[in-house]
Amino acid sequence: MSVDKEVEVKFKVFRFNPKIDFVPRWQEYNVRVDKSTTILDALLKIKEEQDPTLTIRYSCRQAVCGSCGMMINDKQMLACFTRVLELGSSVVKVAPLKNYRIIKDLVTDFEELFQKERQVKPYVIRHEVEELLNPTGTYKQTEDELLGYIQFADCIECGMCSSACPVSATDPLYLGPMVLNRAYRFISDPRDLGLEQRLEVIDSEHGCWRCHFAASCSAVCPKGVDPAKAIQLLRRMLVKKAVLGTSSSKKVDLIPMGHIKGKLELPKGWQ
Amino acid sequence: MKESKRMFLHYVSGLIILVTGFIHLISNNLPGIGTAIHESAIYPVNLIVLLSALMYHMLNGARVILMELIPGRCAAKAITWIVFLVGIALYIYGLQVFLNLFWPVE
Ligand code: SF4
Ligand code: SF4
Ligand code: FES
Repeated sequence: MSVDKEVEVKFKVFRFNPKIDFVPRWQEYNVRVDKSTTILDALLKIKEEQDPTLTIRYSCRQAVCGSCGMMINDKQMLACFTRVLELGSSVVKVAPLKNYRIIKDLVTDFEELFQKERQVKPYVIRHEVEELLNPTGTYKQTEDELLGYIQFADCIECGMCSSACPVSATDPLYLGPMVLNRAYRFISDPRDLGLEQRLEVIDSEHGCWRCHFAASCSAVCPKGVDPAKAIQLLRRMLVKKAVLGTSSSKKVDLIPMGHIKGKLELPKGWQ
Repeated sequence: MKESKRMFLHYVSGLIILVTGFIHLISNNLPGIGTAIHESAIYPVNLIVLLSALMYHMLNGARVILMELIPGRCAAKAITWIVFLVGIALYIYGLQVFLNLFWPVE
């Protein structure tokens, strides 16, 4: 069995604790890595062996939870999804994601992002309250309908697209690619009837019309979601609605399922 | 007005500028058909449509740029209103210049 050769790589890590530091600083660490070592592995190694004060955020370690997005050699990447040697560089620069408030070191604050996301109601909206409280079946969708939005449903909410977006950088009120993609994902879902409820936010001065279509967002998405495309499709939908005045004529069948039982509580604020 | 309507008009005015601008150019520079247009009522009407589309396109563009330069929900509303009022004033002024030029009151 072949043993992978280890090499030493220099890590330049952004360090900043807003509670005690006036200015951020770069700290250097040398780490031995092999071809399977990810940036996250290397940072955890630094934390375990050299500097326990280094702060990072992660959870799944397999590009699913969206927690470990950071600037790696000046580009938005998932630390758990990027192998060190893949970068082909003997010095690796690691910094927190741009466009977010820094909590500490590599950890950024997503509170504002998630507040904006809540404004677009990122869930399927139906009007049949009785069916929602006492479900009797499941809403049918065809494979083609699913294919129409599945790409946009792959978002793991890592916030990297909004970090790469030049408009998000200058307009703090701009919803940003992640949130607009989430809105489109549900609006294009054949089971969803919530377009009208989301219009006020997405069709506003800080909604989808502020996108410059530079597509920096899509270029950094680790899941191939293409939020820039979602925004263009959203605009097309809104222009059609503004010009033709068409409202959604979605109709989905309910497939009865005898085994579904039980009364559900609607979440607070649900409409 | 919803942002989608404003932006739709922005795109439409852009197309109108292309068409009316082209007509304006040939009517001023092309002998034959250009001269014929220049001497007919199409010329002033085309110019007024060009002015209207240009005003809308330009002012909406300025509104978008200003909203990006001065972020804030109140700022966005204020900018929209200021640009709207400035636009109306400029449009009335420009229109009366054209009307006096082409159809002067005796
Ligand atoms: S669209 Fe892509 S980059 Fe943006 S939050 Fe979702 S997964 Fe991350
Ligand atoms: S395409 Fe739009 S949302 Fe994506 S980075 Fe560019 S401006 Fe931002
Ligand atoms: S740790 Fe979950 S995406 Fe990286």
